[in-house]
Amino acid sequence: MTTITQRRAPAGEETPRRDRRDRRDRRGLRRSTLIGWSFILPNFLGFALFTLVPVIAAFVLAFMNWDSYNPPTWAGIDNFVRLFRDDDFRVALTNTVLYAIGHVPLTLALSLGLALLLNQKLRGIAFFRVAIFFPYITSLVAIAIVWNMLFDPTSGPINQFLHAIGIANAPGWTASTAWALPAVIITSVWRDMGYYMVLFLAGLQAIPREYYEAAQMDGAGRWRSFWNVTLPSLRPTTFLVLVLLSVSSFKVFDLVFVMTQGGPGRATLVLSQLIYQDGILNGEFGYSSAISLVLFVIVLVVTVFQFRIQQRRER
Amino acid sequence: MSTLTSDLAQELETGRFQPDAPLPKPRRRRVKTRLGQAAMYVVLVVLLGVVLLPFIWMLSSSLKNDADVLTVPIQWIPKEFVWSNYADIWSAIPMAGYLANSALLAVVITVLQVLTGSFAAYGFSKVRFPGRDALFLAYIATIAVPWQAYMIPQYIMMQKAGLTNTFTALILLQAFSAFGVFLMRQYYMTIPDELNEAARIDGLSDYGIWARIILPLSKPALASLALLTFVNTWNDYMGPFIYLSSNELWTVQIGLRSFIGQYSAQYAMIMTGSVISIVPILVIFLAGQRYFIAGIATSGMKG
Amino acid sequence: MKRSLIAAGAAAAALALGLAGCAGTGSSSSGSGTAGATTLRVAVWNLQQTPEFGALFSAFEKANPSITIQPVDILAANYEDKITTMLAGGDTTDIITVKNLTDYAGYAQKKQLVDVADVVKSLPTADIPATESYKTGSAYYAVPYRQDFSVLYYNKKMFADAGVADPENLTWDEFAADAAKLTTGDGADKVYGAYLHTWNSMVQGYAAAQQDKSYDKPDYSWMADQYKLTLGMQKAGTIMDWATANSQQVQYKDMFEKGKAAMVPMGTWLIAPLLADTKAGTTDVDWGIAPIPQLKSGTKITTMGGPTGFGINKNSKNTAAAEKFLTFAAGPEGAKAVAAVGIVPAYHSDEITKQYFGLDGMPSDALSKTAFDPDVIRPDGPTGTNAAAIGTILNQEHQLIMTGSSSVADATAEMASRVKSDVLHQ
Repeated sequence: MTTITQRRAPAGEETPRRDRRDRRDRRGLRRSTLIGWSFILPNFLGFALFTLVPVIAAFVLAFMNWDSYNPPTWAGIDNFVRLFRDDDFRVALTNTVLYAIGHVPLTLALSLGLALLLNQKLRGIAFFRVAIFFPYITSLVAIAIVWNMLFDPTSGPINQFLHAIGIANAPGWTASTAWALPAVIITSVWRDMGYYMVLFLAGLQAIPREYYEAAQMDGAGRWRSFWNVTLPSLRPTTFLVLVLLSVSSFKVFDLVFVMTQGGPGRATLVLSQLIYQDGILNGEFGYSSAISLVLFVIVLVVTVFQFRIQQRRER
Repeated sequence: MSTLTSDLAQELETGRFQPDAPLPKPRRRRVKTRLGQAAMYVVLVVLLGVVLLPFIWMLSSSLKNDADVLTVPIQWIPKEFVWSNYADIWSAIPMAGYLANSALLAVVITVLQVLTGSFAAYGFSKVRFPGRDALFLAYIATIAVPWQAYMIPQYIMMQKAGLTNTFTALILLQAFSAFGVFLMRQYYMTIPDELNEAARIDGLSDYGIWARIILPLSKPALASLALLTFVNTWNDYMGPFIYLSSNELWTVQIGLRSFIGQYSAQYAMIMTGSVISIVPILVIFLAGQRYFIAGIATSGMKG
Repeated sequence: MKRSLIAAGAAAAALALGLAGCAGTGSSSSGSGTAGATTLRVAVWNLQQTPEFGALFSAFEKANPSITIQPVDILAANYEDKITTMLAGGDTTDIITVKNLTDYAGYAQKKQLVDVADVVKSLPTADIPATESYKTGSAYYAVPYRQDFSVLYYNKKMFADAGVADPENLTWDEFAADAAKLTTGDGADKVYGAYLHTWNSMVQGYAAAQQDKSYDKPDYSWMADQYKLTLGMQKAGTIMDWATANSQQVQYKDMFEKGKAAMVPMGTWLIAPLLADTKAGTTDVDWGIAPIPQLKSGTKITTMGGPTGFGINKNSKNTAAAEKFLTFAAGPEGAKAVAAVGIVPAYHSDEITKQYFGLDGMPSDALSKTAFDPDVIRPDGPTGTNAAAIGTILNQEHQLIMTGSSSVADATAEMASRVKSDVLHQ
């Protein structure tokens, strides 16, 4: 059993056998570089031309003043200085970070749980899977209206339920500045769990049956085999979901905008909306590009951090 | 291909697709399992109610008159069922044409994304070259930049290339996303490198390995990538809105929002169209289901 | 399986390249025209749903057979986004429809439109008071073809049933009192005395217009009284509470047409849909219009409003033809064309008023005619160089006041301090 596990260890990172091949690879390094790039090129070329170049242009604009029409003028770090004094930026950054802190763990846990739940051979399981996926494909307007109704402070079912179980001061949800962000987080977790469940389902298919059989023969129950087989084997998928979730949480826009338009006041104003507001509505593209650059750096740091943790875990 | 490689590949495929295949269960757990199953169904049905509620609202709104859609409080059951909405929408806007346009875009972008993404993912996971991981991280981090930030520089580029008001612009913009690369790379990482080695010994080039071994083994990931890309493209509004000016090129999402005028909106029609536009996604989802369920036969790798 | 997928994909790609597009209404392209003909491209919104454009274009093409109009249909909800992007890319669409004064301020500041002071000079501007709104220094970057202003729509039947006199010469306090008398019912059957839409202009706009206050000066304490009135009505339950109206995306047209509110202060743009719906039979509300309530009785009728106009893109290659269109649209002929579909033209004349009130279904009582001719129309939002930024701040604080998250005093103080520091950088 231990031999099987070793032979089929989750691949991709360093193991003792790799070092021996490393020496051979050094001779073929140039060759593998060429091969590697040949694989990457079709996608990377398209990406570089049509996404990377505009993104870099946007980052360069961060150091300029531009109204989107007349020639840009050099601004140096003025936009960044303004950023650090800007109240709107502070509010939006705080909201976005809080949103991420709420959205990421909840969605991760729920989507993983649902994938495990729905990875069985129950009759009609496909129907349930589709159902969980429905929130992601339902019209945003419908989601906003129904959830706003659910969250209604006086007549909505959620508060009625809270009153029934004895909570006198039920939250004002989307009508209050303190609870609007949690309300939006709950709605977006509900919406996204199906999407990430699909990713986890794919990842679960990759776990060889032998692992479960081996664990079973070792006397592991359901929980044990989950901890010792499923979870470790899911690491690449978990990393994928974690990074995608973090990235999408930081640039969230559509659902929040349709539900609350950033309100009440600026209670749910997120960075993407601020970028849209300052850029397109107020005509200050240099400034909004500076905000995007800061957003990018934050996400890059978070992603590298998650990558390092995952690499350490693999060893 | 040697028997070693094909055996390994086959073992992986069959071994993977049966997560909860019947393992011998001791007798006293059988009753508990049946209760557990019943409880499972109850949980699932409750879950169902919560996730389907907005869709039920959509459905009910699609059968109302415009003035009855946004009422306070919500009317869950229409006072009068306006079935004609489902007939009228095809002439109120060129719905069939819009659906065809959306389908075209979604299919082409999905196919390109799946192909180039899985191809690139092989390079990022199975081939080692300097700077690979740093490049990959930077690649992913660009997903974080909100589209509003580079929407205009991108548009200017497309305008200079004369590609505004074409499908080509949208295809070029969306078919080469880092998302597909990321998803496939993570999945490829679960395929043992021993397989590559065995295949290389057999004389397969990396391209051969990708096409004949890795790709067939990654069907679930390909299915999920295809599904998610299709859904995202199908529901994309701002991209087509900015780039497609001619009415003939409009997609379903633009078409539906055309019911929202400056001073009033036909919400019932919007919901009718939204319900109709969900159908293709359901079809694709259900079709892709087989990759998430046990018991797929191998794709004929023997010999 | 993979191969068949690839084959399908290749087929789809081939199809894509072969097909130009499958939605064949072709509303965006018109006939080729005769040799020497000019084609004017005009950016509009929701062409199918907005009959004024069609009416204007056909009338113009009839009077100028050598010019063809090709509309560029852009959805209303994101109209400004697309125009900004298009203009940034150097688009050559000849004429841009200017939706409101905030958008106009943006165009003027970026100098994206041609100065049409000459066109304005040739127009009978005495009859087109809205032209003044487009004055920027000594230049005019657009001409108005329609002018909307706020009036009070009221349900005649509900007034009669409740025994309340028609809303003539109302002050705001009388308005609140009438609303209280007209509110009936409970829960799902509740009928509100009035419905104030969620826009911040529904409170701030009236205050600014009637007190002649500027949005650009960082002092907004003058909004307090209007807020006091509105919040009072909200508390008394005579208007729908703001939070519900906002989150449930309540439509003012539906509230009025379904008899859910007896009075709805709203712009004159509601008249055309009301006429259309009455004709189509989807509503039978017996409606009339009255002047907006004033601060004091017996004063001039002051209301808020704004023009919609056309401007010429600086990158246009057909400036001469475009100027012809602008002259037509802003003048008496354009006015006749849009008045026929129930739009209030920017050009005023007795003839136009008569034509307008001759429309099928239009209330023809004296009160409605008075409402149609207010003494003063002032902008319904900020119009200066920082219009968009100031408007955002005012709207955000409005939300805080109406949801009770902030007191009126705190919010108006916050408005002033934010405008001062974040917009004016003082």
